[in-house]
Amino acid sequence: MGVASIRNLTVKYGSFVALDNFSCEIQEGCTGLLGPNGAGKTTLLKTILGFIAPTAGSAEVLGYQVGVEGKDIRQRVGLMPEQDCHIPGLSAVQFVAYAGELAGMPDDQALRRAHEVLEYCGLGEARYRNVETYSTGMKQRIKLAQALVHGPRLLLLDEPTNGLDPAGREDMLDLVQSISHGKGVNVLVSSHLLPDIERVCDQIVVVLGGKLRAQGKIKDLKRIQGQPVDIELREPNERFAQVVIAAGGEIQLSKSTSYRVVFPGSPEEIAATVVKCAQEAGTQVRGIALAERSLEDAFLDVISHPQSSNDPELVS
Amino acid sequence: MSSIASPIADLTYRNYDGPLEAPIHRWWAIAKMSIRLAVKKKGFWIWSVISAYWYLVMIAVFYFVDTFAQNSPIGNGQNPFFSQLVWKDQFLNAFSIAQLLLFIVALLIGSGTIANDNRANALLVYLSKPCSKLDYLIGKWFGIFLPIMLVTAAPMLLFYAYGALSYRQYGFLHDDPWLILKLLAIIPIPGIFHASLSIGISSLFNQGRLAGATYAGLYFFTLFFTKAMQVVHIASSVDGGVAPSLVDKLYYASCDGLQIGLAKAILNTSGGPLFPGMGGPMGRNRTAFAVPPPHLVWVLPLFLGICAACVFLAWSRIRAVEVVS
Repeated sequence: MGVASIRNLTVKYGSFVALDNFSCEIQEGCTGLLGPNGAGKTTLLKTILGFIAPTAGSAEVLGYQVGVEGKDIRQRVGLMPEQDCHIPGLSAVQFVAYAGELAGMPDDQALRRAHEVLEYCGLGEARYRNVETYSTGMKQRIKLAQALVHGPRLLLLDEPTNGLDPAGREDMLDLVQSISHGKGVNVLVSSHLLPDIERVCDQIVVVLGGKLRAQGKIKDLKRIQGQPVDIELREPNERFAQVVIAAGGEIQLSKSTSYRVVFPGSPEEIAATVVKCAQEAGTQVRGIALAERSLEDAFLDVISHPQSSNDPELVS
Repeated sequence: MSSIASPIADLTYRNYDGPLEAPIHRWWAIAKMSIRLAVKKKGFWIWSVISAYWYLVMIAVFYFVDTFAQNSPIGNGQNPFFSQLVWKDQFLNAFSIAQLLLFIVALLIGSGTIANDNRANALLVYLSKPCSKLDYLIGKWFGIFLPIMLVTAAPMLLFYAYGALSYRQYGFLHDDPWLILKLLAIIPIPGIFHASLSIGISSLFNQGRLAGATYAGLYFFTLFFTKAMQVVHIASSVDGGVAPSLVDKLYYASCDGLQIGLAKAILNTSGGPLFPGMGGPMGRNRTAFAVPPPHLVWVLPLFLGICAACVFLAWSRIRAVEVVS
């Protein structure tokens, strides 16, 4: 079931087209919005929230029409913006409770929930301090807390690890992963950092130049055309390659004891064939796995050659 | 990450399943927070109390004069001091004297109201919640208007109650039976004016101090101008002369002047001496030098027009995102 459905959305800033006939479906779970700087990721988030009126097209978020039912959408969505943002003059508890009140929570519930969420985000006793005294890492956490306070069904995170040191980044990604799995919160993470997306997301939407380049599950995007398998042998064996070729396979890579081979058939059939080839070559198989690219390779492939991407389902 | 020593036992994330009010009237939450922040400032209380000082002076003077008259063998219960009093002029004087102090209160609570939000990118927080631009603007406006209106209303109504209870025999209620309604009409004037100007000027800046300095500059520059007009008016009025009507109109061309002019038009008075018997410049009758009240026909639209222009300025400046066209 999708949480957002975007159809032929076009957003312009003057004559500059930020989103060009953009269509995609955001599924439940954690989705990464991936693209280089200026690709249109933040514009998409702001359009979803109703900050920017689309020139053409339509979008539906959690069953509400973007641009028509903006308040209903924003009551059910939490935004963690890229920039530092807070309400001046307030402590973290006051700020987050106020964010809850703005979302429609009764005062007492908002205050109780603010304490709960700030503890969850790891701000502990620092929650009584003025937000303006916070470090960058703490500011990121409080942005997350104010986005979570009213229990949104969809959380929009815009570059959540911006400006964080490695330890802070790990903590933030742990938080995002924890929220987005098994807690009933769907998360859309916008980032240009592939490792962050790979770490927390189940599926991705790739945007480039305001256009959709690919969407789908990360494991599908990383899959290599032809379903090659990576084989690890016990020791180098020159005969193995000959047996594989004789059995109708193709050697794509060969390095010491590692081989990447392509066989026709299902993964189970391929595994059986590989074991048979190893027996014929007089060697042992120590490992066999479906070969996949790194997300970086897949991403580069998608943005540079969208039409030559391995899986046609992923291409817009 | 979460501390083991936390007083909250269950630190895992739980979704909020409590009540959520319909996404309407969010402006009231914003106004409430603005008022909470305003009343947290010591300066707000100090200047609010000081702004009422002339009412306190009047209450003290009237009390002692009244007490003296009752004890005096020549007074015979009819005090000439009170007989000469024009009660509505007393309210106008106190209203005029409070202007500078109300401006300081407005500066304290209003000048940074949007400018500081601009600096902290707070608009992203507000507008990402179910708040519209209109909710934000109305909330900020009321957050300044309500405290200033209460600061204006409290001493004025207190003084009215004191006068109604103590000086009915001196025509407090009979001189102008509609006085209470006229007072209720002038009570919101400073609140409306300062709230509108504060949000308009504040929306132009990213620093509350800069917005405050600009507002103060505008206030004192126009005040200086209208004082110059007052000098011209007095100089023209010496020996029975009449000041040009343009000078009289320009006298109201300041933040204070506009509010005082509107109050004069509503109370229908030119104003009078602070107390009966007090002289004007060069020992002359002070009433003769009072600038006549402006016509409500032009002063009210001007007042409302300036306020509306400032609110529109703020409206045009408030954006969740910078859109480069």
